[in-house]
Amino acid sequence: MAAPSSSSKRHSILPAVSQAGPKPPIQFSSSLVIADSAILTGPHTITIRSESVIHPRARLESTAGRINIGRRCIVHERTHIGLVPSSSSSSSRNGKSSLVSKGSGLGVLGEAGEAPVSPSVLIGAVTLGDYVTVEVAVTIEGGETLIGDGTIVGVGSKIGAGATVGKHCTLTPHSVVAPGEVIPDFTVIYSNGARRKDRRGVVDLRNKGQARQIEVLRRMIPSNPAKFQ
Amino acid sequence: MSRKPPRGEYIETDTGNKVARKATLVGTQNIMLGGKTVIQQEVMIRGDLIRSLPSSSSSGGGPPSNTAVAIGRYCFLSRGCCLKPPGRLYKGVFTYMPLRMGDHVFVGQNTVVQAAQIGSHVNIGAQVVVGEFAIIKDFVRILDGSVVPANMVIPSFSIVAGQPAKVIGEVPEGGHDAFELRDLYKSVGNNPQPAPS
Repeated sequence: MAAPSSSSKRHSILPAVSQAGPKPPIQFSSSLVIADSAILTGPHTITIRSESVIHPRARLESTAGRINIGRRCIVHERTHIGLVPSSSSSSSRNGKSSLVSKGSGLGVLGEAGEAPVSPSVLIGAVTLGDYVTVEVAVTIEGGETLIGDGTIVGVGSKIGAGATVGKHCTLTPHSVVAPGEVIPDFTVIYSNGARRKDRRGVVDLRNKGQARQIEVLRRMIPSNPAKFQ
Repeated sequence: MSRKPPRGEYIETDTGNKVARKATLVGTQNIMLGGKTVIQQEVMIRGDLIRSLPSSSSSGGGPPSNTAVAIGRYCFLSRGCCLKPPGRLYKGVFTYMPLRMGDHVFVGQNTVVQAAQIGSHVNIGAQVVVGEFAIIKDFVRILDGSVVPANMVIPSFSIVAGQPAKVIGEVPEGGHDAFELRDLYKSVGNNPQPAPS
Protein backbone atom coordinates (compact mmCIF):
# COMPACT_ATOMS: atom_id res chain seq x y z
CA MET A 1 0.00 0.00 0.00
CA ALA A 2 1.53 3.27 -1.10
CA ALA A 3 -0.37 5.27 1.43
CA PRO A 4 0.35 8.99 1.48
CA SER A 5 2.37 9.64 4.57
CA SER A 6 -0.13 10.97 7.03
CA SER A 7 2.50 11.12 9.72
CA SER A 8 5.46 12.64 8.01
CA LYS A 9 8.01 11.59 10.60
CA ARG A 10 9.52 8.34 11.64
CA HIS A 11 8.26 5.86 9.16
CA SER A 12 10.91 3.52 10.13
CA ILE A 13 9.91 2.94 13.71
CA LEU A 14 7.35 0.35 12.72
CA PRO A 15 8.80 -1.56 9.82
CA ALA A 16 6.43 -2.88 7.24
CA VAL A 17 5.04 -6.24 8.15
CA SER A 18 6.22 -8.84 5.70
CA GLN A 19 2.99 -10.16 4.27
CA ALA A 20 4.45 -13.07 2.37
CA GLY A 21 2.21 -15.54 0.65
CA PRO A 22 -1.51 -15.49 0.06
CA LYS A 23 -4.05 -13.88 2.34
CA PRO A 24 -5.90 -16.66 4.10
CA PRO A 25 -9.69 -16.79 4.14
CA ILE A 26 -10.93 -15.77 7.56
CA GLN A 27 -13.92 -16.26 9.79
CA PHE A 28 -13.80 -13.51 12.37
CA SER A 29 -16.20 -12.83 15.15
CA SER A 30 -17.27 -9.20 15.26
CA SER A 31 -16.17 -8.81 18.86
CA LEU A 32 -12.53 -9.84 18.54
CA VAL A 33 -9.51 -7.56 18.82
CA ILE A 34 -6.78 -8.09 16.30
CA ALA A 35 -3.85 -5.72 16.04
CA ASP A 36 -2.98 -4.14 12.76
CA SER A 37 0.47 -5.69 12.68
CA ALA A 38 -0.59 -9.26 13.32
CA ILE A 39 0.49 -11.54 10.50
CA LEU A 40 -1.93 -13.99 8.94
CA THR A 41 -0.68 -16.21 6.13
CA GLY A 42 -1.52 -19.49 4.47
CA PRO A 43 -4.15 -20.96 2.16
CA HIS A 44 -6.57 -22.36 4.75
CA THR A 45 -9.25 -20.70 6.82
CA ILE A 46 -8.37 -18.98 10.07
CA THR A 47 -11.28 -18.87 12.49
CA ILE A 48 -11.18 -16.62 15.53
CA ARG A 49 -14.17 -16.64 17.83
CA SER A 50 -15.65 -13.94 20.00
CA GLU A 51 -13.69 -11.65 22.32
CA SER A 52 -10.29 -13.11 21.57
CA VAL A 53 -7.29 -10.79 21.42
CA ILE A 54 -4.44 -11.08 18.94
CA HIS A 55 -1.49 -8.89 19.90
CA PRO A 56 0.74 -7.09 17.39
CA ARG A 57 3.22 -9.23 15.49
CA ALA A 58 1.57 -12.52 16.32
CA ARG A 59 1.90 -14.82 13.34
CA LEU A 60 -0.86 -17.24 12.42
CA GLU A 61 0.08 -19.52 9.59
CA SER A 62 -2.47 -21.87 8.06
CA THR A 63 -0.16 -23.67 5.65
CA ALA A 64 -0.72 -27.01 7.36
CA GLY A 65 -4.49 -26.61 7.66
CA ARG A 66 -7.16 -24.59 9.40
CA ILE A 67 -6.48 -22.59 12.50
CA ASN A 68 -9.28 -22.37 15.03
CA ILE A 69 -9.04 -20.02 17.98
CA GLY A 70 -11.76 -20.21 20.60
CA ARG A 71 -13.49 -17.61 22.71
CA ARG A 72 -11.62 -15.18 24.94
CA CYS A 73 -8.17 -16.33 23.98
CA ILE A 74 -5.17 -14.03 24.25
CA VAL A 75 -2.41 -14.58 21.71
CA HIS A 76 0.60 -12.49 22.64
CA GLU A 77 3.17 -10.87 20.39
CA ARG A 78 5.76 -12.86 18.46
CA THR A 79 3.92 -16.12 18.75
CA HIS A 80 4.01 -18.39 15.76
CA ILE A 81 0.93 -20.58 15.49
CA GLY A 82 0.72 -23.18 12.78
CA LEU A 83 4.41 -23.40 12.03
CA VAL A 84 5.07 -26.20 9.57
CA PRO A 85 7.26 -28.73 11.35
CA SER A 86 10.67 -29.07 9.79
CA SER A 87 10.66 -32.85 9.76
CA SER A 88 7.37 -34.44 8.76
CA SER A 89 6.43 -36.29 11.92
CA SER A 90 4.66 -39.53 11.26
CA SER A 91 3.92 -39.93 14.94
CA SER A 92 1.16 -37.37 14.73
CA ARG A 93 -0.79 -39.64 12.41
CA ASN A 94 -1.56 -41.96 15.30
CA GLY A 95 -4.64 -41.38 17.35
CA LYS A 96 -6.35 -39.55 14.55
CA SER A 97 -9.75 -41.00 15.20
CA SER A 98 -9.90 -39.56 18.68
CA LEU A 99 -8.93 -36.16 17.36
CA VAL A 100 -11.65 -36.19 14.74
CA SER A 101 -14.31 -36.43 17.35
CA LYS A 102 -12.79 -33.59 19.34
CA GLY A 103 -12.23 -31.25 16.46
CA SER A 104 -15.31 -32.00 14.46
CA GLY A 105 -17.37 -29.31 16.10
CA LEU A 106 -15.28 -26.64 14.48
CA GLY A 107 -13.80 -28.40 11.55
CA VAL A 108 -16.48 -29.85 9.37
CA LEU A 109 -18.25 -26.65 8.41
CA GLY A 110 -17.81 -25.70 4.77
CA GLU A 111 -15.01 -26.32 2.32
CA ALA A 112 -16.80 -28.99 0.30
CA GLY A 113 -15.30 -27.94 -2.99
CA GLU A 114 -11.70 -28.24 -1.92
CA ALA A 115 -10.12 -31.04 -3.88
CA PRO A 116 -7.94 -33.19 -1.64
CA VAL A 117 -9.59 -32.84 1.75
CA SER A 118 -7.22 -34.44 4.16
CA PRO A 119 -8.46 -34.96 7.70
CA SER A 120 -5.91 -32.49 9.01
CA VAL A 121 -7.52 -29.75 6.96
CA LEU A 122 -10.95 -30.50 8.34
CA ILE A 123 -9.87 -30.77 11.94
CA GLY A 124 -7.58 -27.83 11.74
CA ALA A 125 -3.85 -27.70 11.99
CA VAL A 126 -4.07 -25.90 15.29
CA THR A 127 -7.11 -25.67 17.53
CA LEU A 128 -7.14 -23.50 20.65
CA GLY A 129 -10.04 -23.95 23.07
CA ASP A 130 -11.63 -21.13 25.03
CA TYR A 131 -9.76 -18.93 27.52
CA VAL A 132 -6.35 -20.00 26.22
CA THR A 133 -3.40 -17.69 26.81
CA VAL A 134 -0.48 -18.03 24.44
CA GLU A 135 2.42 -16.02 25.81
CA VAL A 136 5.23 -14.13 24.07
CA ALA A 137 7.41 -16.00 21.55
CA VAL A 138 5.59 -19.31 21.77
CA THR A 139 5.81 -21.67 18.80
CA ILE A 140 2.93 -24.05 18.10
CA GLU A 141 3.51 -26.41 15.22
CA GLY A 142 0.67 -27.18 12.87
CA GLY A 143 -0.78 -30.65 12.26
CA GLU A 144 -3.77 -31.54 14.41
CA THR A 145 -2.36 -29.74 17.39
CA LEU A 146 -4.97 -29.23 20.07
CA ILE A 147 -4.83 -27.00 23.12
CA GLY A 148 -7.62 -27.34 25.63
CA ASP A 149 -9.70 -24.68 27.36
CA GLY A 150 -8.06 -22.43 29.92
CA THR A 151 -4.52 -23.52 29.23
CA ILE A 152 -1.67 -21.05 29.69
CA VAL A 153 1.31 -21.56 27.42
CA GLY A 154 4.31 -19.82 28.99
CA VAL A 155 6.85 -17.52 27.35
CA GLY A 156 8.99 -19.16 24.70
CA SER A 157 7.43 -22.62 24.91
CA LYS A 158 7.34 -24.98 21.98
CA ILE A 159 4.47 -27.33 21.20
CA GLY A 160 5.11 -30.00 18.62
CA ALA A 161 2.84 -31.03 15.77
CA GLY A 162 -0.01 -33.29 16.72
CA ALA A 163 0.35 -32.71 20.44
CA THR A 164 -2.80 -32.61 22.52
CA VAL A 165 -2.62 -30.40 25.59
CA GLY A 166 -5.54 -30.92 27.94
CA LYS A 167 -7.77 -28.39 29.61
CA HIS A 168 -6.55 -25.91 32.22
CA CYS A 169 -2.89 -26.86 31.90
CA THR A 170 -0.06 -24.52 32.75
CA LEU A 171 3.16 -24.57 30.77
CA THR A 172 5.93 -22.61 32.45
CA PRO A 173 8.34 -20.54 30.33
CA HIS A 174 10.55 -22.48 27.91
CA SER A 175 8.55 -25.70 28.22
CA VAL A 176 8.69 -28.17 25.37
CA VAL A 177 5.86 -30.51 24.40
CA ALA A 178 7.00 -33.21 21.98
CA PRO A 179 5.14 -33.86 18.72
CA GLY A 180 2.18 -36.19 19.19
CA GLU A 181 2.33 -36.03 22.98
CA VAL A 182 -0.93 -36.14 24.92
CA ILE A 183 -1.05 -34.07 28.11
CA PRO A 184 -3.94 -34.79 30.49
CA ASP A 185 -6.13 -32.01 31.91
CA PHE A 186 -4.87 -29.89 34.82
CA THR A 187 -1.20 -30.66 34.22
CA VAL A 188 1.56 -28.22 35.15
CA ILE A 189 4.66 -28.63 33.01
CA TYR A 190 7.95 -27.16 34.12
CA SER A 191 10.72 -26.26 31.75
CA ASN A 192 13.03 -28.85 33.32
CA GLY A 193 10.54 -31.57 32.34
CA ALA A 194 8.91 -32.06 35.75
CA ARG A 195 5.15 -32.36 35.81
CA ARG A 196 2.45 -32.31 38.43
CA LYS A 197 -1.31 -31.99 38.74
CA ASP A 198 -2.92 -28.64 39.36
CA ARG A 199 -5.32 -29.18 42.27
CA ARG A 200 -5.94 -25.55 43.15
CA GLY A 201 -9.37 -25.40 41.56
CA VAL A 202 -9.00 -21.83 40.37
CA VAL A 203 -10.56 -22.28 36.94
CA ASP A 204 -13.41 -19.83 37.49
CA LEU A 205 -11.13 -17.17 38.98
CA ARG A 206 -8.70 -17.55 36.16
CA ASN A 207 -11.43 -17.22 33.55
CA LYS A 208 -12.75 -14.12 35.28
CA GLY A 209 -9.27 -12.61 35.30
CA GLN A 210 -8.88 -13.38 31.63
CA ALA A 211 -12.17 -11.62 30.88
CA ARG A 212 -11.03 -8.54 32.80
CA GLN A 213 -7.72 -8.52 31.00
CA ILE A 214 -9.49 -8.68 27.65
CA GLU A 215 -11.69 -5.74 28.64
CA VAL A 216 -8.56 -3.65 29.19
CA LEU A 217 -6.75 -4.89 26.09
CA ARG A 218 -9.80 -4.06 24.03
CA ARG A 219 -9.27 -0.40 24.87
CA MET A 220 -5.50 -0.46 24.35
CA ILE A 221 -4.98 -2.40 21.17
CA PRO A 222 -6.42 -0.71 18.12
CA SER A 223 -8.29 -3.44 16.30
CA ASN A 224 -8.32 -3.63 12.55
CA PRO A 225 -10.07 -6.79 11.41
CA ALA A 226 -10.92 -5.18 8.08
CA LYS A 227 -7.30 -5.36 7.03
CA PHE A 228 -7.39 -9.12 6.91
CA GLN A 229 -10.57 -9.46 4.87
CA MET B 1 13.87 15.30 -4.55
CA SER B 2 16.88 15.94 -2.46
CA ARG B 3 18.34 12.71 -1.36
CA LYS B 4 19.79 12.57 2.08
CA PRO B 5 22.98 10.63 2.63
CA PRO B 6 22.39 6.87 2.72
CA ARG B 7 20.32 5.84 5.66
CA GLY B 8 22.14 4.06 8.38
CA GLU B 9 20.97 1.04 10.22
CA TYR B 10 20.18 3.10 13.30
CA ILE B 11 18.28 6.25 14.00
CA GLU B 12 20.38 8.39 16.30
CA THR B 13 18.48 10.92 18.36
CA ASP B 14 19.73 14.18 19.84
CA THR B 15 20.01 12.61 23.26
CA GLY B 16 22.22 9.88 21.87
CA ASN B 17 19.76 7.04 21.65
CA LYS B 18 20.50 4.61 18.88
CA VAL B 19 17.33 2.91 17.74
CA ALA B 20 17.53 0.30 14.99
CA ARG B 21 15.17 0.90 12.10
CA LYS B 22 14.05 -2.69 12.36
CA ALA B 23 13.02 -2.40 15.99
CA THR B 24 9.31 -2.61 16.76
CA LEU B 25 8.26 0.04 19.23
CA VAL B 26 4.53 0.03 19.86
CA GLY B 27 3.05 3.08 21.56
CA THR B 28 6.16 5.24 21.23
CA GLN B 29 4.56 8.13 23.09
CA ASN B 30 4.56 6.06 26.28
CA ILE B 31 8.18 4.92 26.05
CA MET B 32 10.77 7.08 27.83
CA LEU B 33 14.39 6.70 26.83
CA GLY B 34 16.89 8.35 29.15
CA GLY B 35 19.48 8.86 26.44
CA LYS B 36 22.50 6.95 25.10
CA THR B 37 20.40 3.83 24.94
CA VAL B 38 20.92 1.28 22.18
CA ILE B 39 17.92 -0.59 20.79
CA GLN B 40 18.95 -3.24 18.29
CA GLN B 41 17.01 -4.87 15.47
CA GLU B 42 13.88 -6.89 16.17
CA VAL B 43 13.55 -5.55 19.67
CA MET B 44 9.95 -5.12 20.69
CA ILE B 45 8.78 -2.66 23.34
CA ARG B 46 5.11 -2.55 24.24
CA GLY B 47 4.43 1.05 25.13
CA ASP B 48 0.75 0.70 24.35
CA LEU B 49 0.06 -1.30 27.49
CA ILE B 50 -0.39 1.63 29.84
CA ARG B 51 -1.75 1.78 33.34
CA SER B 52 -5.51 1.72 33.21
CA LEU B 53 -6.01 2.77 36.83
CA PRO B 54 -5.05 6.26 37.94
CA SER B 55 -2.00 5.99 40.14
CA SER B 56 -2.76 6.55 43.80
CA SER B 57 0.50 8.30 44.62
CA SER B 58 0.13 11.23 42.21
CA SER B 59 -3.00 12.61 43.78
CA GLY B 60 -1.86 16.22 43.71
CA GLY B 61 -2.88 17.65 40.36
CA GLY B 62 -0.83 17.44 37.21
CA PRO B 63 -1.55 15.28 34.23
CA PRO B 64 -1.38 11.55 34.89
CA SER B 65 1.79 10.05 33.57
CA ASN B 66 1.13 7.49 30.93
CA THR B 67 4.63 6.10 30.81
CA ALA B 68 4.50 2.39 30.17
CA VAL B 69 8.22 1.71 29.80
CA ALA B 70 10.93 3.97 31.27
CA ILE B 71 14.54 3.26 30.39
CA GLY B 72 17.57 5.00 31.88
CA ARG B 73 20.89 5.93 30.30
CA TYR B 74 23.36 3.61 28.62
CA CYS B 75 21.00 0.70 28.40
CA PHE B 76 21.60 -1.91 25.74
CA LEU B 77 18.71 -3.94 24.35
CA SER B 78 20.09 -6.77 22.25
CA ARG B 79 18.54 -8.18 19.14
CA GLY B 80 15.20 -9.92 19.52
CA CYS B 81 14.47 -9.01 23.11
CA CYS B 82 11.04 -7.90 24.24
CA LEU B 83 10.09 -5.45 26.98
CA LYS B 84 6.52 -5.61 28.16
CA PRO B 85 4.88 -3.93 31.14
CA PRO B 86 3.51 -6.37 33.71
CA GLY B 87 -0.21 -6.60 34.25
CA ARG B 88 -2.43 -7.96 37.00
CA LEU B 89 -5.75 -7.61 38.73
CA TYR B 90 -5.68 -4.79 41.23
CA LYS B 91 -8.79 -3.99 43.30
CA GLY B 92 -10.87 -6.03 40.90
CA VAL B 93 -9.66 -4.23 37.80
CA PHE B 94 -7.01 -5.49 35.45
CA THR B 95 -4.24 -2.97 34.99
CA TYR B 96 -0.79 -2.82 33.53
CA MET B 97 1.95 -1.25 35.62
CA PRO B 98 4.93 0.66 34.26
CA LEU B 99 8.21 -1.13 33.67
CA ARG B 100 11.09 0.93 35.02
CA MET B 101 14.68 0.30 34.14
CA GLY B 102 17.71 2.08 35.58
CA ASP B 103 21.02 2.95 33.91
CA HIS B 104 23.57 0.59 32.37
CA VAL B 105 21.14 -2.28 31.97
CA PHE B 106 22.13 -4.92 29.43
CA VAL B 107 19.40 -7.18 28.05
CA GLY B 108 20.54 -10.23 26.08
CA GLN B 109 19.20 -11.67 22.86
CA ASN B 110 15.66 -13.05 22.73
CA THR B 111 15.04 -12.21 26.36
CA VAL B 112 11.52 -11.34 27.49
CA VAL B 113 11.32 -8.85 30.36
CA GLN B 114 8.07 -8.24 32.23
CA ALA B 115 9.63 -6.93 35.43
CA ALA B 116 8.16 -4.10 37.46
CA GLN B 117 11.53 -2.58 38.25
CA ILE B 118 15.10 -3.12 37.21
CA GLY B 119 17.85 -1.23 39.02
CA SER B 120 21.06 0.14 37.58
CA HIS B 121 24.05 -1.88 36.38
CA VAL B 122 22.08 -5.03 35.72
CA ASN B 123 23.21 -7.63 33.22
CA ILE B 124 20.49 -9.92 31.90
CA GLY B 125 21.72 -12.73 29.67
CA ALA B 126 20.29 -14.22 26.50
CA GLN B 127 17.10 -16.35 26.37
CA VAL B 128 16.08 -15.20 29.82
CA VAL B 129 12.49 -14.76 30.92
CA VAL B 130 11.93 -12.20 33.65
CA GLY B 131 8.48 -12.84 35.05
CA GLU B 132 5.80 -10.34 35.79
CA PHE B 133 6.37 -7.91 38.67
CA ALA B 134 9.87 -9.14 39.39
CA ILE B 135 12.04 -6.52 41.06
CA ILE B 136 15.73 -6.56 40.27
CA LYS B 137 17.99 -4.38 42.38
CA ASP B 138 21.33 -2.84 41.37
CA PHE B 139 24.43 -4.77 40.26
CA VAL B 140 22.68 -8.04 39.48
CA ARG B 141 23.83 -10.53 36.89
CA ILE B 142 21.27 -12.97 35.43
CA LEU B 143 22.88 -15.79 33.49
CA ASP B 144 21.72 -17.08 30.10
CA GLY B 145 18.56 -19.17 29.94
CA SER B 146 17.30 -18.30 33.42
CA VAL B 147 13.62 -18.06 34.18
CA VAL B 148 13.02 -15.47 36.87
CA PRO B 149 9.63 -16.29 38.40
CA ALA B 150 6.91 -13.71 38.73
CA ASN B 151 7.10 -11.43 41.78
CA MET B 152 10.69 -12.45 42.61
CA VAL B 153 12.83 -9.81 44.28
CA ILE B 154 16.52 -10.14 43.50
CA PRO B 155 18.79 -8.35 45.99
CA SER B 156 21.76 -6.25 44.96
CA PHE B 157 25.07 -7.86 43.97
CA SER B 158 23.47 -11.24 43.25
CA ILE B 159 24.27 -13.67 40.50
CA VAL B 160 21.14 -15.52 39.48
CA ALA B 161 20.60 -18.59 37.30
CA GLY B 162 18.37 -21.61 36.75
CA GLN B 163 14.79 -22.51 35.96
CA PRO B 164 13.31 -21.20 38.20
CA ALA B 165 16.06 -18.71 38.92
CA LYS B 166 17.83 -18.81 42.25
CA VAL B 167 20.62 -16.72 43.70
CA ILE B 168 23.75 -18.78 43.07
CA GLY B 169 26.44 -16.32 44.02
CA GLU B 170 27.58 -12.82 44.63
CA VAL B 171 29.19 -10.29 42.36
CA PRO B 172 32.82 -10.25 43.50
CA GLU B 173 34.48 -7.20 44.98
CA GLY B 174 35.95 -5.12 42.18
CA GLY B 175 33.77 -6.77 39.56
CA HIS B 176 31.55 -3.75 39.25
CA ASP B 177 33.33 -2.22 36.25
CA ALA B 178 32.08 -5.12 34.12
CA PHE B 179 28.59 -3.62 34.25
CA GLU B 180 29.70 -0.38 32.54
CA LEU B 181 28.12 -0.15 29.12
CA ARG B 182 29.70 3.07 27.83
CA ASP B 183 32.17 1.24 25.60
CA LEU B 184 29.50 -1.06 24.28
CA TYR B 185 27.39 1.97 23.43
CA LYS B 186 30.17 3.38 21.30
CA SER B 187 30.72 0.12 19.45
CA VAL B 188 27.33 0.13 17.72
CA GLY B 189 25.48 2.63 15.60
CA ASN B 190 26.00 4.12 12.20
CA ASN B 191 29.63 5.01 12.88
CA PRO B 192 30.71 2.27 15.22
CA GLN B 193 34.00 2.70 16.96
CA PRO B 194 36.06 -0.32 17.85
CA ALA B 195 36.07 -1.12 21.51
CA PRO B 196 39.30 -0.03 23.17
CA SER B 197 41.33 -3.05 24.05
